[in-house]
Amino acid sequence: MWHIIKNEWRSLTRNRALFGLSIGFIILLAVTILLGNWQIQKDTEQYTEAKNHLRTQWESIKEMSPHGAAHYGTYVFKPNTLLSSLDDGVNSITGKVLRVEGHVQNEIVYSEASQSQAISKFGKLKSALLLQYIIPLLLLFLAFQSINREKQSGRLKLLILQGANVTKLAFAKAIAVSFYGIGLLLITVLVYTVLNLNNLTADILYRVVLLCLLYSLYYFVLTTLTIYFSIRFKNTNLALTSMLGIWIFWTIFLPNILMSSVEEWHELPSRESFNQAMREDRSKGLDGHNPADERTKALEEKVLAEYNVDSLSQLPINFDGILMQEDEEYGHKVWDKHFGNLRSVFKKQKQSYQFGGLINPFISLQNASMGFAGSDNLHHQEFLVQVENYRRVFIKELNDEHAFGGSKTGDWSFSADNDFFKSVKDFEHQPVPLSVVFNNYFIDILLLVVWGILTSFLLIFGTKKMIIL
Amino acid sequence: MKNLKLFLWEWKHFVRSPFKIIALGLFVLASVYGLHKGANLYHKQTAEIETIEQGAQESRQEALDNYYIPKIYSIEGKPWIDYQDPFWGIWFSTPYHYKRPSPAMVYSIGQSEQFGFYKRIIFRASPSDPDLAEEIANPERLQTGTLDFSFALLFLLPLVLLVLLYNLKSAESEQGFLTLIEVQMPARNRWLLIRVCFYVMLFLLVIIGLLFYGATLTNVFEITGQAFGQQLLFSTLYLLFWSVLYFFILRNGKSILGNTLKMSALFLVFAFIIPAAVHQTLSILKPANLMTDLIDVRDEKEALSKLSDSIFQEKLIAMYPQMANSPARQDSINTMDIQTSAYSAISNQLNKKAIQFIEEENREKNRFISSTFWFNPVSFFQNKFNTISETHYNDYQDYRNEIQTLIDRQIDTMNLDIWNGVKVDESKFREYYEMMVIE
Repeated sequence: MWHIIKNEWRSLTRNRALFGLSIGFIILLAVTILLGNWQIQKDTEQYTEAKNHLRTQWESIKEMSPHGAAHYGTYVFKPNTLLSSLDDGVNSITGKVLRVEGHVQNEIVYSEASQSQAISKFGKLKSALLLQYIIPLLLLFLAFQSINREKQSGRLKLLILQGANVTKLAFAKAIAVSFYGIGLLLITVLVYTVLNLNNLTADILYRVVLLCLLYSLYYFVLTTLTIYFSIRFKNTNLALTSMLGIWIFWTIFLPNILMSSVEEWHELPSRESFNQAMREDRSKGLDGHNPADERTKALEEKVLAEYNVDSLSQLPINFDGILMQEDEEYGHKVWDKHFGNLRSVFKKQKQSYQFGGLINPFISLQNASMGFAGSDNLHHQEFLVQVENYRRVFIKELNDEHAFGGSKTGDWSFSADNDFFKSVKDFEHQPVPLSVVFNNYFIDILLLVVWGILTSFLLIFGTKKMIIL
Repeated sequence: MKNLKLFLWEWKHFVRSPFKIIALGLFVLASVYGLHKGANLYHKQTAEIETIEQGAQESRQEALDNYYIPKIYSIEGKPWIDYQDPFWGIWFSTPYHYKRPSPAMVYSIGQSEQFGFYKRIIFRASPSDPDLAEEIANPERLQTGTLDFSFALLFLLPLVLLVLLYNLKSAESEQGFLTLIEVQMPARNRWLLIRVCFYVMLFLLVIIGLLFYGATLTNVFEITGQAFGQQLLFSTLYLLFWSVLYFFILRNGKSILGNTLKMSALFLVFAFIIPAAVHQTLSILKPANLMTDLIDVRDEKEALSKLSDSIFQEKLIAMYPQMANSPARQDSINTMDIQTSAYSAISNQLNKKAIQFIEEENREKNRFISSTFWFNPVSFFQNKFNTISETHYNDYQDYRNEIQTLIDRQIDTMNLDIWNGVKVDESKFREYYEMMVIE
């Protein structure tokens, strides 16, 4: 088998047109990675500058009431991950700026897509675009007549007479063509690794290895299926047009239709009804019979009993701070309920979409690619959760300062000093652990493996049924 | 006569190739699906606008029924609210401004899912407020894109056309009939052109049928008949663009494989690589704005609150010179209201300044994209379809400009009314929300 693969490779490399095309592709891939890296570098510079600028503003507050500071708030910017230079995922679509302030969990705004007219429906020129759309098409053109050509030239008969096994021959051809795609993939990874040598971590390397395996599997599935068609159809053109049809169906048609359908199966609320529901829960109480005024009264009684005094004016602390924090914590329940619902709908949509991989391996590849590149909705949602967790700590510190910083109830003129504001920590984004990503994309990996096995069986079946003489 | 015969003969070729029929059938199915997607979004946005407007009307009616018609201008338990005060009158007039979807949205959803389409206009607002965010949607779905009619046109049309044309001439050449055909039809190019024309006409008829079908879903003719004509014109031009490119490949090519390869490569270059490369270049030259200029306005506003009343008044009179002799200025009444409204006016100026800078940057981005249209035809047609369906960036920019105009109008009215000591009654209240309409 190894000899056949070697022989197939030799004939591929002897093809001058393919050699030229390969050189072109390698240059294009290298340029793509260079551009991707350059963009990430510029984005990171801009991100760092904006982050530092906002932090300087915060640390420059000389004197301000803690509650005033909660309204003044701060902003968190969404950072780019290093691997998004390979696969940009949802980064152009999602917002970049998130306001962190008291009383409210804001949504991320100002996406890149909203800052200009439409450009590309398939995103930026990242390696993923070439690896997902263009290289598979190239593999398809390389594989579609591999068996038929042997049949028509009479070489197949000769090979069989010499004792060659047709199934092995078909597999060798599938592997040889897949290797061409894998070769381009490895060149991409190599260039990426060299360019980012200083920033590589074990996590990134594991992710890159996983990406390589997934893309290799997809290439194998595609070439095996093409060779199967090459065996089944007497007419090579029919084999090619069938595979072209499948490529169109898999990469352009189905992802769109399935994604739109899952959004209908698991419907998201409109923004107005979402906000309205939160406003109602916020004012009436989560269960609808615990209005804000009653909650205030209950808290007042509890605090007075705790300090063993009869009125708020006798308290040694500022009750307003406690009340605001209590309100925040009640708000947390409201945000958790509604934003939690949103996340759960997103999760259901994702799971349903992932099952689309049963009929379309491209969906599994695309999902897992942006997942392991850290540019999918899971990473985006995780970023939003981290910012919200930060917001809760941030506002609690301000409310605690208002309550226990030295003022008394009703004193809204109390100001915290610069040391206090400097002591409030800045937001630090934590990357999502690979184990979490792996669990989320296990189904995609599994489906790609199943596709690999299925197409292999199809090839075995096809070669058994093949009429040679 | 011979030409017509040839033209009709191609019909036989077409009906005898199931693969071509399936390809065209799939295109029709995808287009119908896309048209329904566009129509659904149009109906959804229209319904959402109606719901919001109904809520706003109810809230205004409540203010009229409970306070302005019975002339009760205070509210129990909230002594700070005075319904006769222009500040509160404007506050309770709850005007909204909408970007009403065009029925032509059925043809292209465009950028409509990246922008908000309703906004409450209040003197503290700005067109860059986060509440003008897009509807909640799965970002992965947005990234994959919606299969609307324009998607079918832009990306499926060239592929289906490829399937319809890929074996013209080359099949005859491979089977050895070409010389025989040349004997019967010496003008080989005309022979090929007529065959290509057959498929172009067939495709055009399909497109016209689809456009008519789409028009019935959202009443395109009743409201914007012009959009139909424009959509037809640019769809035809797009079809011709690909047909001409493919014709030259077919004319010069000899094998089916070679032609298919060249046609596919051309599709990949125009539909994927060029737009993606332009997108990537733009991201490097002009990265996404993190809106720090707008954020910085926060500090300037913070500084405003520390200004003394006299400086506030000076700034305000510089903006509204007619206020210099107003009763409020002379009597110094409603100082709180004056400060609040003046604060709104000054911070509105600061917002506008920052937004202007950001918008200029966006305009530069748009200019860059437009400058690539001569070699980036797919993006050109994509934006053209968006313009026709009023879902282009510029349509949302116009909407934001309208919001700004209304905010300015509201602030001006509030300031002048407060400074002139106007008392809000029923007719004034009605005036407050009636003035907030842009036809």
